[in-house]
Amino acid sequence: MITEKKKQTTLRRNSLGSYLRFMAMAFRINVKSVLEYRVNFMLQFFGMMLNNAAFAAFWAVLIERTGGVGGYGFADIMFVWGFVSSGFGLAHIVFGNIRGLSRIAIEGGLDVYLLQPKDPWLNLLASRTIVSAWGDFVYGFIIMLLLPGIGIERWLIFLSLLVPSALLFSAIFSAAESLCFFMGNSSSISSAISEFLLTFSLYPEGVHAGWYKWILYSLIPSAYIAFVPLHVFQSLSWPLVPLLWGIAIVYILLARLLFRQGLRRYESGNRMDARI
Amino acid sequence: MSVIQVQQLSKQFRTRVSSQQKTAWLTKLFRPQYRSIDAVKQVSFSVEEGEVVAFLGPNGAGKSTTIKMLTGILQPSGGSSTVLGFDPAKQRRQLAWQIGSVFGQRSQLWFHLPPADSFRLLGAIYELEPSVLARRTAELVERFALQDYFDVAVRKLSLGQRIRCEIAASLLHKPRLLFLDEPTIGLDVVARREIRSLLSELNSVEKVTVFITSHDMGDIAKVCKRAIIIHHGEVVVDESMKDLKHRALAKKYVGVRYQEPVQFSTGGLQPLKATDRSASFEIDTRQHSLPELVRRLSGLGELEDITIEDEPLENVIADIYAARSEQAARNVTAGGRAKDAAAKSAGSGKEAAGADNGRTTGSGESQAAGGLS
Amino acid sequence: MSTLRMRLRAAGAAAAIGLKDKLAYRINFGGTMLTYALFVFVFSRIWASSLGDSSIAGYNYSMMVWYFIVAEIPLFALGRFFWTLSRDMKSGQVAYQLSRPYDFVAYQFWERIGSALPDLLILMLEGLLIGLLLTGGFPPALAAVGPPDIAAASTGLAGTAAAATGVAAWLRLLFVPLSLLLSGIVNFYLQFALSMTAFWLEENEAFFWIFQKIALVVGTLLPIEFLPEAAQRIVVWTPFPYIAYAPARIMTAFELSGALRLIAGQLLWAVIGLALARLVFRAGSRKIAVNGG
Repeated sequence: MITEKKKQTTLRRNSLGSYLRFMAMAFRINVKSVLEYRVNFMLQFFGMMLNNAAFAAFWAVLIERTGGVGGYGFADIMFVWGFVSSGFGLAHIVFGNIRGLSRIAIEGGLDVYLLQPKDPWLNLLASRTIVSAWGDFVYGFIIMLLLPGIGIERWLIFLSLLVPSALLFSAIFSAAESLCFFMGNSSSISSAISEFLLTFSLYPEGVHAGWYKWILYSLIPSAYIAFVPLHVFQSLSWPLVPLLWGIAIVYILLARLLFRQGLRRYESGNRMDARI
Repeated sequence: MSVIQVQQLSKQFRTRVSSQQKTAWLTKLFRPQYRSIDAVKQVSFSVEEGEVVAFLGPNGAGKSTTIKMLTGILQPSGGSSTVLGFDPAKQRRQLAWQIGSVFGQRSQLWFHLPPADSFRLLGAIYELEPSVLARRTAELVERFALQDYFDVAVRKLSLGQRIRCEIAASLLHKPRLLFLDEPTIGLDVVARREIRSLLSELNSVEKVTVFITSHDMGDIAKVCKRAIIIHHGEVVVDESMKDLKHRALAKKYVGVRYQEPVQFSTGGLQPLKATDRSASFEIDTRQHSLPELVRRLSGLGELEDITIEDEPLENVIADIYAARSEQAARNVTAGGRAKDAAAKSAGSGKEAAGADNGRTTGSGESQAAGGLS
Repeated sequence: MSTLRMRLRAAGAAAAIGLKDKLAYRINFGGTMLTYALFVFVFSRIWASSLGDSSIAGYNYSMMVWYFIVAEIPLFALGRFFWTLSRDMKSGQVAYQLSRPYDFVAYQFWERIGSALPDLLILMLEGLLIGLLLTGGFPPALAAVGPPDIAAASTGLAGTAAAATGVAAWLRLLFVPLSLLLSGIVNFYLQFALSMTAFWLEENEAFFWIFQKIALVVGTLLPIEFLPEAAQRIVVWTPFPYIAYAPARIMTAFELSGALRLIAGQLLWAVIGLALARLVFRAGSRKIAVNGG
């Protein structure tokens, strides 16, 4: 009887297929909860577009005056904004809890995920979607449609690099949030790291000086989220695409490892005085 | 077959101590001070297949901590436990396939969506075939009478409706063991009664072992067949509900009211309260005869009303707690002395307590001792 | 007379409550300070790489950095009245306060301004520090400030004039915090008027977004002079230049008549904003009185 049970376990349970089914179902439910808040969604979407349009106006005015910033022209800037926006959006659509991880852990909310037989990290992250993220996600596609002279190949590059970009965002956000296991209330540091990653990704690589640029290739990997993808996009260097995928996978695995290390210190809300 | 086996299970929490001094932040930064709290102290018990066990104790007694260790959420600091043949500390995910759980405060349902959607996602999490999931969902919806609000967003449900959905959801994958942590907390009387009857039915129909923590005596008296009482992290009582109730039955409250003023003379038994026309008595039926008392009382004058009540279960357990605390205090004073000396001092302490608080404490103490052995 | 004193006391108490509330959340403000520094830093890099030694529309690198440092302060320290006000509206706090026997608009004004003051002060100091680090000195218009020449004042008419310019140079520095404060007041009344639309509309964030984004492009990220001429001609008739542009312009290119004109514009918009806020609030609270909340 025991062997039979074991066989069943190895055959069926927690296989890749079952995880895909779980993720697909979580995604479906995510979409549904967006539709549940149609007005809110439209507002958020509209707000995102407005925000991005404001910055586009800024860049248009600036580049009109200067002819280029940090080696980027207006089209380059727009691609970076669109691409980063879509990657950021995708991360928050699929892993909607990514920015709430520390709050959930501090309030003892990981219990629910620990009681279920799926990987708690994945289960937690996928159990929410951020409505406004759909606006971010779509923005990149709108930019791609508006940019002149985008052929099939550039569309393919855009699409093939979205997933690594989203994974990198998720990895850094998850790692920043996981700090709460080690230092209690880490919300200031976590949000600062997230802000840094996004801000550095949105502005041209050329404006940054050498003495701190290495950080953008390691701790705050804006390079892999924006700078290198722009290079791939401009010069159609396909060999860099699998490299970026590889880098993104390494980052996400490290982030998961950090979460699992932190989980050992999880005390299910018992230590926490920060409950609101 | 034992479904749960717990040996000497312990859990300590380390908390930072914050002092009230002005320079506290400095010392906190460089030399944080910690204090350990024993949430659970060497708890041992076992639960057999098919049982419905109540795990009782006041707030902070260690109930939730124990249940979290049994489900693998928390790592124990000492001791061991086996649940359905798994070690929860090491095999949490294997165990998760076989257990269901409802933690009153933490929802497994999506707040903004109808329960139907959460059930679908849970189906994917527990890897149920779509046809199996559909059949099982229909079955649970019917048994828990969820039809009317199964397609209403959870945020719009009442707490009682939500808990029903939670319990139904926790049964989706046919768990062999169900953990319920304070399932009726915050519910009104009607919703509470409904949940209780559902739980009784569940145990008989689904053949699932149920482990409930609660501080509501009503929950357990109706549903459970056995009670484990934990206090200050230690098991103080582990016996059948019948025995626990028997203790309660050992003590009666008798209230009388007469049409005219009477002179109370009841053979040494002092009333708890008395006016010239009414009185109430507390009697231990192992020491006094209840019929005898009633006969005496009715002989005193023309009775207008007489009531005889069992001692509420809350009081029984409160007595046990009180006795435990006293004993703990005595153990501290008697620490290091020889065994018989300690016993002697315990005896004198008992007398003093008895004189102070009346029989309540005295009888409670003897019961606690019985529970411990 | 005594009513004025009572009113002042009430205003003081309201400001103190806002201040205390803020101090309790000072840790949260660390994040805002960090983000502010990050923004200034990244934009200083943008100006360094796009301007070099040249200048655009009369702004060189050092001026642009100082401009940005001052222009961002209203956004970070004074730009969020709308959210707290809207939140209180929706949670019913406002309806509750309506029944209190004081002037609601004035109370809100003092409480919010009180809670924004520490932010303003901290960001000004932080900005000063960052600016000195990034540019190595004050912008030229203010760098001329020396110690007032008291000795010269006693030596006749020419000396008096020299001393006067010395004192005036020092006074210039005070224009910046004054203008920032006025920016906060304009910001408050306009955002107050926007947030009170919640009396009629459940989801009124869209108004604020539009307001905030226009403010971002008009004066916050870039000086007005950068905009196309047609746009410049239009925006001077709107309140937006008086939110971020006015204090930042005074900081970077001080010139007395220009500064006085900007301050006057801010005062004008503060008055218009106050009138607008009272108008919207009166209409809204009348609606509540009619419909019973």
